[in-house]
Amino acid sequence: MLTIGKLAKAGDISPDALRYYEREGLLAPASKTDSGYRLYGEDAVRRVRFIQHAQACGFTLAEIRDLLHLRQADGACCDDVKSRAIEKKLQLAAKIRAIQKMSAALDVLIAECAGGSLPVDDCPILAALEAVSFEAERT
Amino acid sequence: MKIELFFTPGCAKCAGATTALKAAAETMPGIEWREVNVLDDLDRAVDLGVLTLPALAVDGELVFTTLPTVEQLVAELRRRDGERGDGA
Repeated sequence: MLTIGKLAKAGDISPDALRYYEREGLLAPASKTDSGYRLYGEDAVRRVRFIQHAQACGFTLAEIRDLLHLRQADGACCDDVKSRAIEKKLQLAAKIRAIQKMSAALDVLIAECAGGSLPVDDCPILAALEAVSFEAERT
Repeated sequence: MKIELFFTPGCAKCAGATTALKAAAETMPGIEWREVNVLDDLDRAVDLGVLTLPALAVDGELVFTTLPTVEQLVAELRRRDGERGDGA
């Protein structure tokens, strides 16, 4: 059995993060000592790794909980997992596009400003952000 | 009207319902039915704001974010057909 400190070290994660996973229903100790310390089975290291890898792919903790449930569901198959991965990819692609749009909007603002020591009252970037019609939104 | 059904390969929900939806849609005049595997055309799905699958768009507008029933699809197509007729 592993204490929370040993599991944290094995998973390269903080004990606070492990307690947070527990509150989120992702990881539970196998038992507790008489004095109330959490004890984890060896499979907890694999579970922590699973959570970390899924987070690195953009899955939220709620989605990871869903993936973990799916892994244990009798009727679930690989396609169920694949469809969640594809939906995540769609969401990431939409976010990337939104960020690209923001970046293009900033390009427009930056191009409008010659810089220099003009007072901020004359700053074209601030003026453009304040304008009723925001030119950069149309990029 | 152009209908685009966005799906993931291997989706049992999609395979079961698609045939009935397509048959119902094609009872309407001027229907163009397209099935889009999002892995082949992710950009189109993102263009239309598809975030969950399966999803169905009509004339380039995301209308159903889950598969509709046959009745829901037919009602939507009739509504749009009526609007077109009114505008003509």
